Amino acid sequence: MNPNLAWLLTRLYPRPWRERYGAEFEELLETGHGGVRILANVVWSGLRERIFPIQGLTPDHATGSVAFHSFCMRAPWVIFSVAPVFLLAGGYFVACLILWAGWKIFLPGADSPFGGGPRHGFANLYFQFGKHFYGGAPILVGWVIAIIAARQRAKAVWPLTGFILVAWMGATARIEASRTVVPRGFGHIHMGFVLWPLDRNGHDGLVHALVILSLAVLPYLVWRFRSTRTMFS
Amino acid sequence: MCDNYVMRSTQHVVEEKTSPEEMGHYSDPPLLVLASLANGPKHGHLMIEDIERLSGTRLGPGTLYGAIGRLEQQGWIEPLPAEKRRQPYRITAEGLRVLRAKLTTLERFAKSGLKRLEVL
Repeated sequence: MNPNLAWLLTRLYPRPWRERYGAEFEELLETGHGGVRILANVVWSGLRERIFPIQGLTPDHATGSVAFHSFCMRAPWVIFSVAPVFLLAGGYFVACLILWAGWKIFLPGADSPFGGGPRHGFANLYFQFGKHFYGGAPILVGWVIAIIAARQRAKAVWPLTGFILVAWMGATARIEASRTVVPRGFGHIHMGFVLWPLDRNGHDGLVHALVILSLAVLPYLVWRFRSTRTMFS
Repeated sequence: MCDNYVMRSTQHVVEEKTSPEEMGHYSDPPLLVLASLANGPKHGHLMIEDIERLSGTRLGPGTLYGAIGRLEQQGWIEPLPAEKRRQPYRITAEGLRVLRAKLTTLERFAKSGLKRLEVL
């Protein structure tokens, strides 16, 4: 394998791992066969090593800066409740921006970006990306919570609070668009949250919340399961 | 958002035929590494080659070092002085005990399974 590529691939692993195994691993990559399968194996293992680091190689509390860990311990409600809400709000803002820009660019005459007739090619791809970004944002935020909780060995109650919050936000969020609210047809996109009942566009919001919760919490449950299994094996 | 869109999805399912010999490959990376080190210290390259001969499975570098890291953490293998950039490892006494116990279980399981096959 190309030495530069081997060097780059080794950077995918966390620093404590690289300090211990980096040189020999890089040598193994340089002198071994290349290929897509090897590449996929190294990338996947690097990500696994970042999510489930070898405990002996890291300080007891986990990888990452001491200051961040200390903050996680002192104010877990900020890391696992307030920050995810703001992160998801930021994600929804970007989703609305994508929708609004798409409306202006691809559907300039339409009253709403939701009913503009068939769209093909790049426009379709663009709106599909926006739609999936909007739908996937709570799950992605949930995964961020899971990774931080796993790395910082946080008590289960805090990440669970975060998961429930983002699932609730994801299930109750709704976007409305109108061209009549703002003069000169500039277009207005409004986002709100339905507190109760959990009903969204005729779908059962509670089921939606449970689906988001299940997907968001999955990596965290896998980590808990693996930790418990390691402890008892 | 954008309810009028139909999600397009193409799923390409290719059924690969696997021969019985290929299905017989054994893949438990930590156990394979322990078994490879049972007949002497080895570095990464030699372990990959030896494991392929032993079990028919060629471990990827990431999988190999994932197993090495965890085995070293558990104290079942230990590093020897490095040879330039290559790092040989050897199995510890505890590692040998674990390997023996696991292989005994596997042997018992294999014997029982094969006995059942004889009846067919």
